[in-house]
Amino acid sequence: MALHHITLTVNGEFEQVDVPSQMTLLQMLRDKLALTGTKNGCNAGECGACTVMVDGEAVNSCMVLAVECQGANVVTVEGLAKDGVLDPVQQAIINHGGVQCGFCTPGMLISARALLNRNPEPSEDDIRAALVGNLCRCTGYVRIIEAVQEAAKRQKALN
Amino acid sequence: MIRMEETMTPNQPATSVPHPIGDSVTRVDAKEKVIGAALFSDDLQFGPGLLYARIKRSPHPHALIKRIDTSKAQALPGVKAVVTGESFPGMTGLYLQDRHIFCRDRVRYVGDPVAGVAAVSEAIAEQAVELIEVEYEPLQGVFDPEFGATSEAPVLHPDLGKYKVQNFIFPKPGTNISNHFRIRKGDVDAAWSQCAAIVEHSYRIPHIQHVPIEPHVAVAKVDENGKVTLWGTSQSPFAQRNLIAIALGISQSDVEVIAPYVGGGFGCKAGVSMEALAVAVASKTKGKPVKLRLTREEEFYTAFVRQGMVAHFKMGCDAQGRLLAMQNRFYWDGGAYTEYGVNITRASGYSSSGPYDVPNVKTDSFCVYTNHPVGGPMRGFGMPEMHTGLEQCIDELALAIEMDPVQFRRINCVQGGDTLVTGMTMHPTGLSECLDKAAKAIDWGRKVAPSAPNKRRGKGIAAMWKAPAMSPNASSSAKVALNEDGTVTVSVGGQDIGQGSFTIAAQMAAAALGVPIDWVRVATPLDTNYSPYEWQTVASRLTWSMGNAVAAAARDARQQILELVAKAWNEKIEDLDIVDGNVISYKSEETISLKNIAIYGLPLPNDQGWIGGPVLGRGNFMPTYVTGLNAETGQGPRAVVHYTTGVQAVEVEVDLDTGKVQVLRGVGAFDVGKAINPEMVKAQMEGGFVQGMSTALFESLQLKEGVLQNPSFVDYRIATTSDVPMDIQSIIVEVPQDDGPWGARGVGEHSMVPTVAAIANAIYDAIGIRVGAPPYSAEKVYLAMVDAGLVKEMEG
Amino acid sequence: MTINAHPELPDFDYVRPATLMEASQFLAQHAGEARPLCGGTDIFVRMRDGLWHDRYLVDVKKLDGTANLACDAAGLTIGAGVSMNRVIAEAAVRQNYPLLAEACCSVASHQLRTRATIVGNLCNASPAGDTIGACLVLGGRLRVHGTDGFREIPLEGFFTGPGKNTLRPGDIVTAIHFAPLPAHSAGTYIKLGRNTWSDLSIVGLTAFGYPDETAASGYRFKIAMASVAPTPLLAHKAQDFLAENPPNLQSFDQAARLASAACSPIDDVRSSARYRKLMVYQLTKKALQQTWEKLTR
Repeated sequence: MALHHITLTVNGEFEQVDVPSQMTLLQMLRDKLALTGTKNGCNAGECGACTVMVDGEAVNSCMVLAVECQGANVVTVEGLAKDGVLDPVQQAIINHGGVQCGFCTPGMLISARALLNRNPEPSEDDIRAALVGNLCRCTGYVRIIEAVQEAAKRQKALN
Repeated sequence: MIRMEETMTPNQPATSVPHPIGDSVTRVDAKEKVIGAALFSDDLQFGPGLLYARIKRSPHPHALIKRIDTSKAQALPGVKAVVTGESFPGMTGLYLQDRHIFCRDRVRYVGDPVAGVAAVSEAIAEQAVELIEVEYEPLQGVFDPEFGATSEAPVLHPDLGKYKVQNFIFPKPGTNISNHFRIRKGDVDAAWSQCAAIVEHSYRIPHIQHVPIEPHVAVAKVDENGKVTLWGTSQSPFAQRNLIAIALGISQSDVEVIAPYVGGGFGCKAGVSMEALAVAVASKTKGKPVKLRLTREEEFYTAFVRQGMVAHFKMGCDAQGRLLAMQNRFYWDGGAYTEYGVNITRASGYSSSGPYDVPNVKTDSFCVYTNHPVGGPMRGFGMPEMHTGLEQCIDELALAIEMDPVQFRRINCVQGGDTLVTGMTMHPTGLSECLDKAAKAIDWGRKVAPSAPNKRRGKGIAAMWKAPAMSPNASSSAKVALNEDGTVTVSVGGQDIGQGSFTIAAQMAAAALGVPIDWVRVATPLDTNYSPYEWQTVASRLTWSMGNAVAAAARDARQQILELVAKAWNEKIEDLDIVDGNVISYKSEETISLKNIAIYGLPLPNDQGWIGGPVLGRGNFMPTYVTGLNAETGQGPRAVVHYTTGVQAVEVEVDLDTGKVQVLRGVGAFDVGKAINPEMVKAQMEGGFVQGMSTALFESLQLKEGVLQNPSFVDYRIATTSDVPMDIQSIIVEVPQDDGPWGARGVGEHSMVPTVAAIANAIYDAIGIRVGAPPYSAEKVYLAMVDAGLVKEMEG
Repeated sequence: MTINAHPELPDFDYVRPATLMEASQFLAQHAGEARPLCGGTDIFVRMRDGLWHDRYLVDVKKLDGTANLACDAAGLTIGAGVSMNRVIAEAAVRQNYPLLAEACCSVASHQLRTRATIVGNLCNASPAGDTIGACLVLGGRLRVHGTDGFREIPLEGFFTGPGKNTLRPGDIVTAIHFAPLPAHSAGTYIKLGRNTWSDLSIVGLTAFGYPDETAASGYRFKIAMASVAPTPLLAHKAQDFLAENPPNLQSFDQAARLASAACSPIDDVRSSARYRKLMVYQLTKKALQQTWEKLTR
């Protein structure tokens, strides 16, 4: 089966990749671009460990074909910090002890960043809803929800 | 035995604790994880030579293998190796060697590995697996442990009598019973007549799975000399090295296990499971590394699961509420191989009184082979399953004599000096304090109105205890090396699976050495070639056992430094100290930084030479006092190293219209001896509470005739952000452990143990109905309410 | 049962035709081995599970207007390629068709809703589909493009069995269209899953009501049930009863009984038939009460 030549932006950098039809965005990021921060937890759109932003929206990268991302702007966990300065959601999740094994963390951070981008003052329910597709088995979620609340406050203070 | 005073520097009061012990320092791996730089097993890069494996698995729960034809698979372009059990006669197992790497003559569960393929891509390996033809002769299956324990059941392991087994496990050859643990304490039969109230209940606890967010991954390479390198998702690199070496008949020194960050374990990445498959396949690929990944579906039924349990409880108390007798019969559904699960049978047996002082106890705990997925260690190691029923019976007994359940527990809860169910003397414990604090925090006794007319509100409480379940000589070791700039590298064999063990290792080294925490690094990833030995990362044992080894290694390094400086300054060691990375003399008030002296030593005066050299501290810890137990009575001087005790309380609301149970808030209080890092201890308490809550409300592996009906996240549900209460309170109680580092003992598992029972007791408080065994799904609760007449089923 | 799930997707060809006619012709020529692709959230799972083996996935997300969302005096038209998140975010939808937004919000997770589409949900024809009830009660009509051009079909009768619909090879549903709703209408979607949010429904209950002087009771209600029959189901007898009898707690109770009697749930890995039947009763009552409160506010 033929390969598709695609070009896209990943974490601000121009990339061009040859991908077979059945390759998911997750596979492309991990296996072709060596961006292994995004994780494979189920490959079925259930656990959220593979969450990235495509054109500003949070999406399960295991449920997107790489070929569908022609021209897209993709952001992964590796693209959250800017010039070595952590994104407020990254700093907050550390501050609140919301990281244990760290495997769900990249997906959580992307979902949180996407939430704050579209809704800078989310309610507790807004945060729960935004993260309901990110499964965590270690933390029990409370510290992660509190971290997002703190990040929202911090952002508001900075603006 | 290490005494607390030995960890103190001189001239300091014995009760003061050096920083950063007790400080909630930020975890050392947090930044790496939040920027996506932390490398997990599937993230490692092996270059274009990497091959990919897939496994041919049995579709039958029990069958003889008549014929395997791999010729079509071998002929597929891109396939580099196809292996079957014929090539691997060795057996593996932690406590009982009952498992081949690949099945040889029969399969014993759906998913049992029959053959393995290595190919240039995972897709080709998958195609090749489908081309392997296997002819089976299905056999009658065993799907219930009580049935499996009878003589009518087909015998799943006819060679049980020939398996190597550790001397504290008691299999019954010729049966499906791979361990029978007994407790005979006092005289239970005589005690019933003294009881004012007796409660008898049975519980069928379903299988569940650990559900780490990271599925198992293993990459194995076997070079031309037969030396094995294994990278993988591992809680136990040294146990894996050992078991794989034994199974292959090679030296442990010819197996190197490298364990990067682990995305959750909860026990399923302890011992050996799928890793042996990768090694076996790699042994035929001429030195090329082979990666094997489990799909999430395979994770649910071919990785370790938590065994099911059928538990029969009978307990009685006198009119004053004193527990007089307990009689327990536990049938553990151990699954197809019980090499690890046999110890769960034992651990539940020696803890079968629950955290109570009971003079008469009779327990029979059976590990039974079934044609179900393989039961292995899961957080709590039998304690959640057991306490689920036991703590509900305690509540029932309290209510039978019209005593408040908290008061009942207060009267009976185990205290220091008590003679335990095995005859061991209990050490000091803060269980009463945990009980009082948890009850207070949940406002026990105060009824609050439900939030709506169609809801009922209730509170429930449950106590727990657990000892680290391990070999009596499970040990730890550690190294502390100093670098040119004064920084310290700590090497351990204990894996950080999210609980924070690397961080507290750094804290302990910093405290025992006398350097700032920022100067300390932990050498990662674990590598059995370079890391010091650690039995396994299980049993909530690292803080205590590995901690002792780290503290000892740091003290050893400290001693070397002080000896050097004492010689150079012509002073007495007792007058010297290391504070904030500087060696200081209390006598002469001289001071010198650790920078530079830790490697290069110190020069003698007048250019007469040098003294010192690289400082390398070493330490180890192994409990020396665990004794055997009598095979007939389970009695012995010291069954376990110690117990961590605790209590959880919850408040729930039940929706009368749907049966849905909502946990409104939770409280946990646990005696950790000494919280090395209080925030991380609390994080364990919260995480365990939510995992326990998830098993209480949602989780069961639905097995039908050995076939798993819900092998995916679609129908195996776990708690999400929408299910957790924000109000989860974690209370730290500290009654020091005599041989713990700064008095510490573990708590990683304990917060998942009483949760199901606490919720069940709360549901009873809310609606007056015992809903039985978990999960307490909305459906189960609703239909129980209908059947009990609490709500009306609609007519017509 | 998904016990044979493969690690990754099987081989297939991704095809993106330039026009709807090209797409319909391609699908017809490759009938049985080609499938239209919108969000992919159902397709990818089934392909990885080895249940579907299509050789071609034909991307129809941006073909001749399938990416359009339009809400105006003529009604609401949601193109096949419009994600559920986009539907929810559209103020005009929340304002004028709030039940549709409510149903979309209940689906899965935010990440899946970035990809999942209402048209995809409809074509997938699962009896558990969360947006299907809302589309039924709001009178949605499908715009379909086939090898012989466009046609419009009502949703009733579209679903013929679990995962089955009346589409023929070459057919592409390009949009769903809703006529303007009656003034002062209101609706409610109650979804009972295992988790509090997310999850597939054990029972999904959609109720919709509006004043109608041609009804003896002065009101018409529509009730759609999910996960309790081989297809999404309208509770006709209950609907008729409510058209005849004044809306109050007793008539809602009776309507709920009729709805429960009308469904034919099964025992499956998620729930039992007994519980589902009882929950149809409970949720219908609740949904009608909540809808009534909204109507009479």
